[in-house]
Amino acid sequence: MRTKVVAAVAALGLLAACSTTTGGSDTGSTSATGGDLTVAGTYPIESLDPHGVTGGGSTGTQLADRAIFSRLVGADTKGKLVGDLATSWKSGADTSEWKFELRKGVTFSDGSPLTATDVVDSFTRLLAINGTNAANFTGYTISAPSETEVVIKAPKPDASVPGKLTQFYVIPSGIKADDTAFFEHPVGSGPFTVTKFTPGEVLELAPNKKFSGSPAKLDKVTIKTIPELAARLTALRTGEADVVWGIPDDQLATLRGDDQLKIETVPSTAVYTMWFNSKIPALANAKVRKAIWQAVDFRTIIKELYPDTGKLADAPVAPGVLGYVKQKAVKYDPTAAKKALQEAGFDFNQKLRLQFANAEFRPFIQAVVSDLAEIGVQAEPLEKEQAVFTKDLLALNWDINFQQLTTPTFDAASNLGRLYPCAAGRNGYCNPELDTLLASAGAAADKKERVDDYGKASEIIWRDAVGMYPMAVSIAYAWNSKLQGFQPDPSGLPDFADVRYAAS
Amino acid sequence: MRLIPRIVIGIYLVIAVIGPLFIDYDPVHTPLKDRLLSPGSHTSTGTAWLGTDGVGRDILAQIVYGARTSMLIGALTVLVSCVVGICVGVVAGYARGWVDAVLARVIDVLLAFPGILLVIVIAGAFDRGVLVVVVALAAAGWISFARVTRAVALSLRERAWVDAARVMGVPRREIIVRHVLPFAIGPVVAMATLEFALIVLAEAGLSFLGIGLPTTTVSWGQTIASGKQYLETAWWISTLPGIALSLLIISVGILGDQLTARYGRGRRI
Repeated sequence: MRTKVVAAVAALGLLAACSTTTGGSDTGSTSATGGDLTVAGTYPIESLDPHGVTGGGSTGTQLADRAIFSRLVGADTKGKLVGDLATSWKSGADTSEWKFELRKGVTFSDGSPLTATDVVDSFTRLLAINGTNAANFTGYTISAPSETEVVIKAPKPDASVPGKLTQFYVIPSGIKADDTAFFEHPVGSGPFTVTKFTPGEVLELAPNKKFSGSPAKLDKVTIKTIPELAARLTALRTGEADVVWGIPDDQLATLRGDDQLKIETVPSTAVYTMWFNSKIPALANAKVRKAIWQAVDFRTIIKELYPDTGKLADAPVAPGVLGYVKQKAVKYDPTAAKKALQEAGFDFNQKLRLQFANAEFRPFIQAVVSDLAEIGVQAEPLEKEQAVFTKDLLALNWDINFQQLTTPTFDAASNLGRLYPCAAGRNGYCNPELDTLLASAGAAADKKERVDDYGKASEIIWRDAVGMYPMAVSIAYAWNSKLQGFQPDPSGLPDFADVRYAAS
Repeated sequence: MRLIPRIVIGIYLVIAVIGPLFIDYDPVHTPLKDRLLSPGSHTSTGTAWLGTDGVGRDILAQIVYGARTSMLIGALTVLVSCVVGICVGVVAGYARGWVDAVLARVIDVLLAFPGILLVIVIAGAFDRGVLVVVVALAAAGWISFARVTRAVALSLRERAWVDAARVMGVPRREIIVRHVLPFAIGPVVAMATLEFALIVLAEAGLSFLGIGLPTTTVSWGQTIASGKQYLETAWWISTLPGIALSLLIISVGILGDQLTARYGRGRRI
């Protein structure tokens, strides 16, 4: 019996030893070429089309597009605008006309040159498909006076054009709106090309040999969607994945104990945003919305659930974003909230549909629902698949919508300016005064003036409780400490072009 | 020894019926300050004997309330499956001819279809709710009852006493109820026990996947799912309801086997 036990223990030990070696083997191919990188993505990449209906709004698609395509203008990790395809840009006197000088000698991954025509056609395509990002450019026109120059004209002055263009990707001319075949093996001018793509599951990238910038150092990047957190972290620890981000606070402590991993949190541009559907009669009254906000003890929820990555938000946009102006904190006061709701004639029998996607937000949503229940407001948490969620979101098929809303352009224009005007119709809220402010903020060339206007707009949004803005989010990144050059990105869209393995 | 499964099931039944009277639990209420406490810790409202989950809810209460949900859904589904299955089976077996041909083929087709897939499709297509779960589970559960009853009815209708009743002009319905069905009860009860275990398991599975019961109903599956990400740091969230579930399934399974041995194969019709 004893020999058997000893044998079993020995076998187990051997097995463990084997698995460690296998775990390390994909990192073992470190060479001058930089090795293979596996990224465990939180959000599925359903499509690679940057102009697609949901392309602009989907984190997964944007992560992929950053690697595959180029933009006129990009932003560094601090949010400063830097030229990508454009070497310089300037506006006319009133910011309604912007001229971009294109870099020479840029080619697509198939070798064909990238010209001003491609930029013009991509922009036209973006507008024609009219997806989430096109709302940034309603009524804009583009023209190419020469091969190396494009001019974008806005219907009214718009100072945020360069910032907004950080979301605009250039693809070759002649790609139709529904050309799915192209996006199976897209041709782009970014640092990587696609070698394999299975929507929602895996994206494999290889360095773009025709890339005009400094070439990517890795041999291969695999972005695997692992929606399950536990599986994602296990993959990180076993070495199956090298980079994971969006790690909940509860797991950080365990990961910190692992010296193979580097962990960092960066304040992101994301704010937990819980819009109220102001279109439905029950929530049409600003007092009702404000009372509901007051009824939730967000400070405690954040302290308990997000001690590392959460901070009570004090504006509809995050502190790093241009246009951030601090607002007065909404005080947790359930008694006052209940009173206000009763005075406003709120129907306590109505069940509010609280929609969200992704299981990671479940505890937060449950805590909010619990606090609302305390004062008798019934909210039903509805966890939806991403695609269903987006469809319902646009159709206003919800009463309270939870979203982790980012401002990837670092400019309030793409958040406040895009989502809150009456014409956008994204949350049922409509206020002509807000429209005027947002328009004037968008047009002002002067930075201070813009911040002032966005501040006033934020004040209205805050006062009328268009939504609840509970938390400014930091993103926790964990990566294999053998990786060099990895920069945690505040938008949750890290760049892999400069990443490489340290030679062992 | 033979009594152990019955005792265990009895304990579960008692817990399911009277447990909620002694333990107060609100699935919506999340006392965040008490989150992730290990078994035996003191909470703001008392002692969490089996710990608390990621949003501070008591695990013991979830197991007790979950037992009630599981028992209720198991019993309801078995009842619905039984009624539907026996009706279809006895009609097919007794009527024979084209009725039997059609019904038997329907059963065959459904048998060829993976049961759990059928359940997921039905449960996923509608809003979450107890009724939807029962209907979805019953949609896959009645088939085995129908098969057993049909087989019994096919052989019984040739027996002398059934012939005698027919010759004497006893109405067909009477023959089925008085001379056929009583003999089907033994195998059906044995089957029902086994089905009950499978249904409890399937319900937990559905809730685990998030397509079963609404979040306002406590279910072992949901509790187990909510503890998934804490398996390393707070093992009790998934493990304890998991043990409760396994123990019930195993006991019911053994009881089912005992009943099958007694009524199913052992006794001659």
